[in-house]
Amino acid sequence: MNHSFEVDGVDFQLWLSPCQQGYRLRLHDKVIAPIAFSHQADSRGVLTIAGQREPVRYAIDGEMLHVRIRGRTCILRYCDPLRTLASTNQEAGHLVARAPMPGVVVKTNVSPGQPVSAGMELMTIESMKLETVIRSPQDGAVDRIHFNEGESFERDAVLVTLSEERR
Amino acid sequence: MRKLSFDTVLIANRGEIAVRIIKTLRKLGIRSAIVYHDVDARTPAVLMADKAIAISGRTPISAYLDSAQIIAAARNANAGALHPGYGFLSENAEFARAVMKAGIAFIGPTPESIELMGDKIRARNFVKRNGFSVAPSAIEEDDPATFVSRARCIGAPLLVKPSAGGGGKGMRIVRKLDTLGDAIAQARSEGLRYFGDGRLYVERYVENPRHIEVQVLGDAFGNVVHLLERECSVQRRFQKIIEETPSPALSPGLRKQICETAAGIARAANYRNAGTVEFIFGGGEFYFLEMNTRLQVEHPVTEMVSGIDLVAEQVYLAAGCELGFSQSDIMSKGHAIEVRLCAEAPERGYAPTTGKILVLEYPDGDGLRIDSGILQGQQITAAFDPMIAKIIVHSPTRIEAALKAHRAVAELVLLGCETNASFLGRILADEAFLSGHVHTGYLDENPHIAAGNSASDLSAFLATAALLTRPIRESADAVPELHANLGCWRN
Repeated sequence: MNHSFEVDGVDFQLWLSPCQQGYRLRLHDKVIAPIAFSHQADSRGVLTIAGQREPVRYAIDGEMLHVRIRGRTCILRYCDPLRTLASTNQEAGHLVARAPMPGVVVKTNVSPGQPVSAGMELMTIESMKLETVIRSPQDGAVDRIHFNEGESFERDAVLVTLSEERR
Repeated sequence: MRKLSFDTVLIANRGEIAVRIIKTLRKLGIRSAIVYHDVDARTPAVLMADKAIAISGRTPISAYLDSAQIIAAARNANAGALHPGYGFLSENAEFARAVMKAGIAFIGPTPESIELMGDKIRARNFVKRNGFSVAPSAIEEDDPATFVSRARCIGAPLLVKPSAGGGGKGMRIVRKLDTLGDAIAQARSEGLRYFGDGRLYVERYVENPRHIEVQVLGDAFGNVVHLLERECSVQRRFQKIIEETPSPALSPGLRKQICETAAGIARAANYRNAGTVEFIFGGGEFYFLEMNTRLQVEHPVTEMVSGIDLVAEQVYLAAGCELGFSQSDIMSKGHAIEVRLCAEAPERGYAPTTGKILVLEYPDGDGLRIDSGILQGQQITAAFDPMIAKIIVHSPTRIEAALKAHRAVAELVLLGCETNASFLGRILADEAFLSGHVHTGYLDENPHIAAGNSASDLSAFLATAALLTRPIRESADAVPELHANLGCWRN
C-alpha cells in the first residue's frame, strides 16, 4: 500500500516493505534498502541508511512528524488516506474562509445566519503587526464563526464557514 | 556600593527580555514582579518572577499596551520602579510620565528625551543644531522656491522622500541630477496618494549603507559614557537578524569618531539611562539616523565584550545613582555575535510559524549565552513578535565567533515549531558575511540565503518518518518477506 507525506506543500509517495536486514523503502522510482531505525531514550534514535548510521532527534504530534538529522529539521505531515477523504466530505456544500497565516482575530464583522455577498468583509485578522481583511469568497450566509475576537489561530485554520444558500 | 531606593521592580514586558531582566534583579537582590496576558501564563518569565499579575485586553498585545492596568499592577506589587524592556510601552513618553506620577521610578530616560528622539525630524534638527553630522538634506518647507536648487547643491546620489512618509513609500533614488525633476514629480504624486501630503525632502543617498549604532549610558549628574559600537547590517524587512561588536567596517579612527559623536549627542540631550544612537555608514562617512531611548534587543553583544551588565546599570541610574565608571574604565575584549532565533520560515517569505515546542535543547559551552523566552511544552502563537530566543557568542576573534555561532545554531534542537535556525546557519557560513562585506541590502541582494536548498535530498527524513509511523510499519510487517521481494521484482 502506498503512503504519503507532505513536506512544504509537496507530496511524497512511498512504500515500505520488509527485507532481510530491516526494511526496503520505495520512493517514486528509487529503492533504498536496507533501512532500519532503533529507538533510544526520549526522542532520540539512530537511522541506518545506505550503510550509514545517522543519529536522529524526532517528535511526533498527531499527524506531524518533526525530524532532525545532521542539524537540519524537517516537518513531515503523514497523510492518512482515510482521514483525507473524511474531511473532504465534511466540507461539501460549505465554503470556508481559511487563515492565510497564523494570527489573532482583531474584529468580527458578521454574525451567524447573516447573509453575505461576495467580497464582503467577514473578519479582520492581525499577523506580524499587519492587519488583513478576510472577505467572503461568494454570496451565501454565515454558518459559523470559529474564533472570537482576541483569539489566536494557526495557519490554514478555518475562520468562518459559509453555507452556499442565503437563508 | 551604590544603594537602591526600591526593593521591587515591575517588568512591563514578556518573553526573553523579561527573563533577562529578572536574572539581573535576582543578582541585585531585588524582587521581580511581572504582568502577563493569559497566553503567556506558562512562559519562563512568569514562572521565574517573584510575583505575577494577570492583565487582559482585546488582543494579547493590547494587554501589554494598557498603561492603566500595568500601573495598577505595579502599585499592587509595591514596585518602586518599572522596567519597560523594549517594544510595547518602552518609548511612550506619556506612559513614562504616568509611571513617575504614580511615584514609581521609570527605568529609562526622561519623558522629554523620549519625546525629542521619538520625533524623527525634531531629533534630526536637534542633532544638526548641536553640530553633529546628519545626511546633507534639503527640506522643501524651509523655502519651497529654492527647494530644487538646494537639492541639486547636495549632489548625486540623492534620495527623494515624502515628508509625511514611512515604510519606503514614495521614495525615489536619483543617481543623475538631470532626472531629479521627474523624481520629484513622481514622489510628490505618490506622497499625495499614500499620505495625502505632497511635501518632500531630499537627502544624500548612501549606497550599500551599513547600520552601526553606539550604546550610551548617562546619569543625572551630567556624566555620559559610550560602550562602543554594534553593527547590525544583516537585516530583513528593516529588522535586524544578526548583530555584532566590534564592527568589521570601522578603522580605529572612525570608531573613535562615531562613538564620541554618539556620546556627544547624548550629552547635548542631557540624556539619562541607557540609549542607543544609530548611524548610517557608507563611503567612509556616517550620518545620524535616530536614537532609541531604551534597552536594545542586541544589547548582550556589548555586555559580552565589556563585561558590563547594562540592565544593572539601568536600575542604578533609575534609582538616581551616579555612573559607577568613567569612559577610560570601559574596555572591549574579543568579538561578540548575536543571532535572533525566530518562529518564521525565511524560505516562505519569512512567514510566521506556530506550534507547540515538543523538544528544546540549547547548546552550551564557554563564551556562549542564550537569552530565551520559551520552554519545552510551550505553544508558540502568532500573537507577538516572532523572535523567541537569542544566541550570543564571545570569542577572541570575529572568525572564531562566527564559527562558534554556526556550531551553536547547528547544535540547537527545537522540534515542534519551524524556526529560522537553518537560515541563520546559512548566513554564518556565507562568504560575504565571513569577510565582513555586508550592508543593509545584503539579504535582498542574495535571495538564495533565505530560499535555502529546496531541491536537497529528503530520503533520510522520509525513511525515518516511514519507520516511525505505525500504520506504515504495520502494513509493511503484514507483508511476508518473500512476497515483498517478489513485489519488487515484478516492477
